[in-house]
Amino acid sequence: MELYHSVDVTLWGSIVITFFFGSLIGFLFQRSRFCNASALRDAILFKSFRNTKPLLVGMMITTFIFTAWVSVGQGNMINLKAGLYTVVGLFLFGIGMILAGACTVTTWVKAGEGNIGAWWALLFTFIGMFLYSFIWNDLRWPMEEILLTNSPRWEVFHFGYGNAQTIQEQTGIPAIFFGLLQIGALGLIYKKILDHEKKVRKHKEKAIPEIGIGC
Amino acid sequence: MNEKNAISELFAKPLDPTYAMIIIAIANGFFFAIVEAWTVGGGEGAMTGLLAQALFGPTLAERLPFWSGRTVYISPFYWKIFISLGMCFGSFVAAVLSKEFFIRMPKKMSEWVLITVGGLLMGIGIRLALVCNVSTFFGATPQLSLAGYFAIIGILAGAYVGSMIYQKIMEM
Repeated sequence: MELYHSVDVTLWGSIVITFFFGSLIGFLFQRSRFCNASALRDAILFKSFRNTKPLLVGMMITTFIFTAWVSVGQGNMINLKAGLYTVVGLFLFGIGMILAGACTVTTWVKAGEGNIGAWWALLFTFIGMFLYSFIWNDLRWPMEEILLTNSPRWEVFHFGYGNAQTIQEQTGIPAIFFGLLQIGALGLIYKKILDHEKKVRKHKEKAIPEIGIGC
Repeated sequence: MNEKNAISELFAKPLDPTYAMIIIAIANGFFFAIVEAWTVGGGEGAMTGLLAQALFGPTLAERLPFWSGRTVYISPFYWKIFISLGMCFGSFVAAVLSKEFFIRMPKKMSEWVLITVGGLLMGIGIRLALVCNVSTFFGATPQLSLAGYFAIIGILAGAYVGSMIYQKIMEM
């Protein structure tokens, strides 16, 4: 009986919802061959936008829904802090993603398809995270109090956080307004791609060679 | 058409990625309202912490305070872990149903090297920035987060450099 009462229903509820959500993503990624790494790599190298367009569509829809929720006082914001470390971290990640031939999602998706290279990439992603904890111990930990604060600290290139919620609170304008501006900007990029595709429609698209895990 | 043929037909050709992303984006919108935005790096961090604790013992956090739970939450019941496990499971189901599941591995040594270096850089990058590509495009930026815009600058620059390296390799 005691064991039964110790089970946290909220915890298990969130685990079930999360697993179902992840399964839906894995299923759709596998069936659609969508990959974040190729969305950027193929656009840069081959001017092929098969995966770039869905990325933009996904961002536009997500922006609309998130900012709509924030406008009515709902949603669970992440409140991520921004700093030079954000740019450098994602710069390293971007290189790694292209070299491995898969992003964080497609490594799990390819692993589910039986790709041993993807399991290998996951193992080394974990090892990379563990190695970083040594760097963090020596360099970032002494500064952690500063880096975890919400206020900017210019001397260490830490800018605190700002997002749809803070913009809404400070301006008094609903977040959806700013969301629509962002959707407009993403829509312009999407239109540029469509214009480009119209121009090159007559030419056959180049076959894109596979590398690494193969997305 | 019988039921078996209908299922085979459904899994015979790939789904348009735009339709896939529309469904995922809507699901992500509801997930944001119930739990939080879709993310992958946080779950991978928790898994790394759990593995490191299993390998190096419960005093790991004393030696490396990074694993003390302040920046990375370590628990086998941490919900973010189940996104990753779910993605692997969902992909497995889709691959089996479409008869695309089979064990395959990179053929060339150079590919193993690229995957190893790529994996390491992804791991270091995620923990340095505390953001992964999913949070960048489908979490932080749709929340109009400053961190999201910084992350986009970083990932685009990194993808460009990575693509140049990739091109050089393809020419070799």
